[in-house]
Amino acid sequence: MSLLIHHLDKRFGAVVALDGLTFEVPQGQVFGFLGANGAGKTTTMRIVLGVLHADRGIVTWKGRDSRILPRSTWGYLPEERGLYPRMKVIDQLVYFASLYAVPPDQARRNALDWLARFRVPELAKRRADTLSKGNQQKIQLISAVLHDPEVLLMDEPFTGLDPVNVALLREAFLELRDQGKTLIFSTHQMETVEALCESIAIVDRGRVMIGGPVRDIRRAAGRRLVKLAVEGDHRLGWINDVPGARILRPGIDRTEVELDEGVDPDVVLSAALARGATVTHFEVAEASLEQIFIDHVGRPSDEETHLATTEPAA
Amino acid sequence: MTNSVPARDDPAFPNISIIARREYRELVRGRLFKVSTLILITLVLLIAILPIGVRVFQRGQTTQVAVVAADSVLANRTIDHLRTFLPQGDRPYELIAMRDPAASIEQVNDRNLDAALEVERQPSGRLSFTVHLGETLGQTALADLGFATFATAIIDFSERNPVVGFEVPDFNVVRGSSSAGRGSAFDPAVFASRLIVGAVFGFLIFLSIVIYGMWVAQGVVAEKQSRVMELLISAASARQLVVGKAVGIGLAGATQTLLVLVPALAVLAVEDILAKVVLGQGVGIDSSLKALSPGLLLGFASYYVLGFALYAFVYAAAGSLLSRAEDLQIVALPLAIIAIVGYFQAILALTGGITVFIRLASYVPFWSPFVMITRLAVGRVEPWEIALSLGLLAATIVIVGVIAIRIYAAGVLLYGQRPGLRAYVAAARGR
Repeated sequence: MSLLIHHLDKRFGAVVALDGLTFEVPQGQVFGFLGANGAGKTTTMRIVLGVLHADRGIVTWKGRDSRILPRSTWGYLPEERGLYPRMKVIDQLVYFASLYAVPPDQARRNALDWLARFRVPELAKRRADTLSKGNQQKIQLISAVLHDPEVLLMDEPFTGLDPVNVALLREAFLELRDQGKTLIFSTHQMETVEALCESIAIVDRGRVMIGGPVRDIRRAAGRRLVKLAVEGDHRLGWINDVPGARILRPGIDRTEVELDEGVDPDVVLSAALARGATVTHFEVAEASLEQIFIDHVGRPSDEETHLATTEPAA
Repeated sequence: MTNSVPARDDPAFPNISIIARREYRELVRGRLFKVSTLILITLVLLIAILPIGVRVFQRGQTTQVAVVAADSVLANRTIDHLRTFLPQGDRPYELIAMRDPAASIEQVNDRNLDAALEVERQPSGRLSFTVHLGETLGQTALADLGFATFATAIIDFSERNPVVGFEVPDFNVVRGSSSAGRGSAFDPAVFASRLIVGAVFGFLIFLSIVIYGMWVAQGVVAEKQSRVMELLISAASARQLVVGKAVGIGLAGATQTLLVLVPALAVLAVEDILAKVVLGQGVGIDSSLKALSPGLLLGFASYYVLGFALYAFVYAAAGSLLSRAEDLQIVALPLAIIAIVGYFQAILALTGGITVFIRLASYVPFWSPFVMITRLAVGRVEPWEIALSLGLLAATIVIVGVIAIRIYAAGVLLYGQRPGLRAYVAAARGR
């Protein structure tokens, strides 16, 4: 019982947006859909929604072709935020819900509940063009969930939000997951993925580079990390002398050290102690998703894919 | 596994009515709607009372024509005859005898006289007339003078060459109204009213299509520009969105048309009473509504609705490929030109009679809403012609609707460069 994206192909003129894209999203999970801009994430979401048609391939939810499923199966938070600028927030929320056949009274009640949950009940009577970006984001998320969809597709939901709103949104995601919803979202923020997602797919140029449960992906990466802090020395230049160890991400507070496969983390600790250093923090961790992303895509997640730049809003 | 087979069950209702209701409310509550309605009501009321205004302005005015002849006897006899034959309508003719042609022409040029009519007897005995017109007289006055001088010449001839038993002939006009029957007596007041009703109906349909059609295109572009389209297109089908928008804006347009028409019709209905109040008892004015019949109203309603539906689809499709409101001008002019060409045929039908080309134009779907309603008002239309014109219009709406929805579905998610014709063709083909 899952959402299955099976061998999707999609071209826009000469540009290949999706190239046999295949992955599976288990029901009831929060799923991270990772890729650089232009990797094909928006195109995939639009095909799942039925707004775009794939040239080849199929999407199924619980074994049924997505093209015959009712629209209300899906809730969608697009990357480009947009509301009717002059319409009152509560009116638009009721309007969108009514397009999914939610009775207006029920839509109004649920919308007010959600506004209260996001701690912004006063927005109900405001016009959309008077809202801050973060508040517009909340309204759009509410509009995506008001009709009680089984699957939520969210394109870059955390972009442009301040830390308080990121935390609120994360909370809401987990709550929705606990209600049995399946959540799929794309993002560049690996920290958020690490905090929320049980499974991920990393895509590049319309293909899945790696996908599955986060734990398995990390384990399969083989690499391990050591997070180390030493009193009076934040550069830790000596680490590069330790065989199989290199500084991944230097930091004032703590430094991340990457170890080759088979290298025992204790080697780093022993080397530090041998130099007479006072170790204030020592932590063994698995490879970060950021590093795994770079390993598979060849560049950081916030860099653009050049091949797909002519693809419309993908 | 291809993309062509399955389709979700997307019933037209209730989403079309939900979308239409929102469009209607937003438009009717908007400032643009209120202000434009007020301006239009004022304008149309002014036009409705214009005939009375013209009569008030012309009251007591005469058309002054100098009859110029070197021979004062000839001048006076000509004046006597002309008085008999010139019609004495709203602006009665005042005829003044003059001797000097140059002085009379100068008076015409100085606007002291409306015209100078030079009369001269040729050596053969024949009369010769020359009219010097100022800018105050039009075709009708010229036709009056032409007829009156011709009649004067006949009388003059008969005075000099006695003719026995001549009587002025009857002159009756009968205008055919259908292929069956012999037609009915020509009533100039009804015909004048038919021209007015035809002109007003044709103009209203033309104006509604161009203005409210643009509202449809603007609405689509605004939804794209504000990016709310992304939410809409996942919540409702392209068909629901296009038809809902067309219905909502169409109803708002119809509301405005009614708000403008009803007071104007009310004024026209009491036109005669108003004229008597303003101009005094005994001065009647022929109602402009004499030709208005339930059939003509039904025809107007049918062509208004169908004409708008056809153009609304085209405007929705045209707007769907644009990203910014500034780009609307790309589609506004070409679409307006299609409508203007049709409207031009309607004007010709009013002024120049119904030619074969105008008859054909009244079957062409993009033109029939203007041309056929004008023909219905002023001309003779067979029932099969109405059926053909409406049938072609309805069939075209279906075909254009299907293509427009395809273009819309592909176009609304495209952002970027200004589209050319090729982009619209590609979108229609679903690429």
